[in-house]
Amino acid sequence: MSRWRSVWLVARREMVERGRSRGFILSVAFTTVLVVGSFVVPTLLFGDDDATKIGVVQPEPPGLSLAITTSASQLDQEIEIVPFADEAAGDAALADESVEGVAIVPADLSGPGEIRFDKEPDQFVTQLVTASVVALRTQAVVTEAGVPPADMLAAQQAPTVHALDPQTEMDDAQFLFANIGAVLILVGIFSFGFTVLTGVVEEKQSRVVEVVLSTVRPRDLLMGKVMGIGVLGLIQLAVFVAAALAAAVLTDRFGLPATTPSAVLLLVVWFVLGYALYSTALGFLGALASRMEEASNASTPVTMVAMISYFVAIFAVINDPSGPVAVVATYLPPSAPFVVPLRAAFDAIGPIEILLSIAVTVAGIWVLFNVGARVYAGAVLQTAGRMKIRDAWRSAGE
Amino acid sequence: MLEVIDLAKRYGPVVALDGATFSARPGRIVGFLGPNGAGKTTTMRCIFGLARPDRGEVRWKGQPVDRAARLGFGYMPEQRGLYPRMRVAEQLSYFAQQHGLSGRDANAAATRWLDRMGLGDRAKAKLEELSHGNQQRVQLAVALAHDPELLVLDEPFSGLDPLGIATMTEVVNERAQAGVGVVFSSHQLDLVEDVCEDVVIIARGQIVAAGAIDELKARSGRRHLEVEVAGSDGAWLDGGGDLTILQRSGDRVKLLVPEDVDLDALLARARAAGEVRTFAYQPPKLSELFMEAVTPAPSPVMAETR
Repeated sequence: MSRWRSVWLVARREMVERGRSRGFILSVAFTTVLVVGSFVVPTLLFGDDDATKIGVVQPEPPGLSLAITTSASQLDQEIEIVPFADEAAGDAALADESVEGVAIVPADLSGPGEIRFDKEPDQFVTQLVTASVVALRTQAVVTEAGVPPADMLAAQQAPTVHALDPQTEMDDAQFLFANIGAVLILVGIFSFGFTVLTGVVEEKQSRVVEVVLSTVRPRDLLMGKVMGIGVLGLIQLAVFVAAALAAAVLTDRFGLPATTPSAVLLLVVWFVLGYALYSTALGFLGALASRMEEASNASTPVTMVAMISYFVAIFAVINDPSGPVAVVATYLPPSAPFVVPLRAAFDAIGPIEILLSIAVTVAGIWVLFNVGARVYAGAVLQTAGRMKIRDAWRSAGE
Repeated sequence: MLEVIDLAKRYGPVVALDGATFSARPGRIVGFLGPNGAGKTTTMRCIFGLARPDRGEVRWKGQPVDRAARLGFGYMPEQRGLYPRMRVAEQLSYFAQQHGLSGRDANAAATRWLDRMGLGDRAKAKLEELSHGNQQRVQLAVALAHDPELLVLDEPFSGLDPLGIATMTEVVNERAQAGVGVVFSSHQLDLVEDVCEDVVIIARGQIVAAGAIDELKARSGRRHLEVEVAGSDGAWLDGGGDLTILQRSGDRVKLLVPEDVDLDALLARARAAGEVRTFAYQPPKLSELFMEAVTPAPSPVMAETR
């Protein structure tokens, strides 16, 4: 029987046994609900802002409603003008809160008029109506003084607006995506990497490992375990990403950037690499322990490295995506999974660098797996107390 | 044939095996006996590549044992272990597939062996839901489901009730008759005497006795003599030279005598005391051979191993 069939059998067992466990199903369902909820709930609470309603008592000066609407649209705000036949009708509407404020301006612009509110003056409405009334009245005065309307229009021209490095909605989405990506990779490593760890300790504790290893090579068992649980991790990631994308599209909270497919691909690649690296380390360290409590001690160094890498990515790299820290961290296997997707989101890394970083990380995984498999082989059958890495390495000498 | 040749293994300062050599032939049941810590489990682990010997090797059909050969072995380790939360039938099928069976054959074998063990209705139960004895049955089925050519069972009878022991014995005998070589360790020597034809006795990492039980008994320098003389109350023994009295109850006495004892003279003495109702001259029990073999003594029993 080929080794790969053996690895596949181990991986399939992990997938089937854990995949149908209540814990896994619940965690997938929970994340999905969480993701969809985080998009849908804000939309329900704050979404579909109704246009601000402003009442205007008739007769109104010519052009007032138009001026108010135009100013509002320049401020990127939606408003709706509600005409009232007289002041009493406007007051009634204020009282039942069907309008925010009511403008009462003499039709001949003989005076500035009044803006009436129910309880508290709204600043936005006040400024909007004030600006419109002042503009209309100024225009009337200036026109009367014989200034040509063309000069008037020229004088009223607004300065042009220009951003040196415009922040677009797309960038926001990409940035959010990269951040979620880093968190997902961290959470993936912790939840599924620790599943590998506990799986190794359970096999050791229940002694089933002796039966398994009477036919399966230790390294094949470790590999199959990492792979099988990794597939579950990918399933959870896929559900998470699909739910997030679907929710984003459906609720239309922000447009998906054109780079979404490549960002998702990058996320998946680095999730796989990060998981493979950390779960291998957790797997063989778990073999050193003979009880669960010892296992969490044994895993402390890995946890530390993962946390440090994550914070380097979140702080140092976001601060300066092309700085020396970011560049060095790109080529260190433990930090690359966090750093590269972030740098890519900032457009601070080229495809060559990404490929190089992937190559370095894959090499790192290979080295770690070979060291780890030997330690695992030496340690997993020793059931008396906690073992030292060096002893395990020696006892499994070729 | 399985050949264990000159195995030596140290764990730090502890010598687990010190040149152990024996063999197990197809169709024969070998009882692998020895006090705790003598090296039985280490030997079995070496057979399955779970421990690497410092010296020596294990051969199967004349070749050093490799993974391909081990696929045809069945193992029941002393520390029982299966996946507690895995369903029984799936568990059996999984291990059978790891021994090279196709998915379909493995499922069929799982069903067959569960029925055989009387656990057909528990196929979908998780292992941890089964009683201790039934878990042991599943463990044996795991060792058997892929139709191994060699069975290595470490303490298969420990923790079993008489019914379990009966099933275990029956299955082991049946496999041996089908040509499977069986090696099992046990401390229940009476059971071994019933089940095995051959024994290998290990002490302090070395084989101190090996061979067919009958042969070992025949080679032993001791014999049992049971004599019952009506109405004598055993008095005829008094002042009677080189006799070790094992038991004396009423008219019946049990003696340990050298193999070359003068039986005629003894019988004559007994007759002089009264009517001899029993006069049985028998080889020693396995447990005595065992004690004799494992106690450091100037001349251990050593039969040839073939």
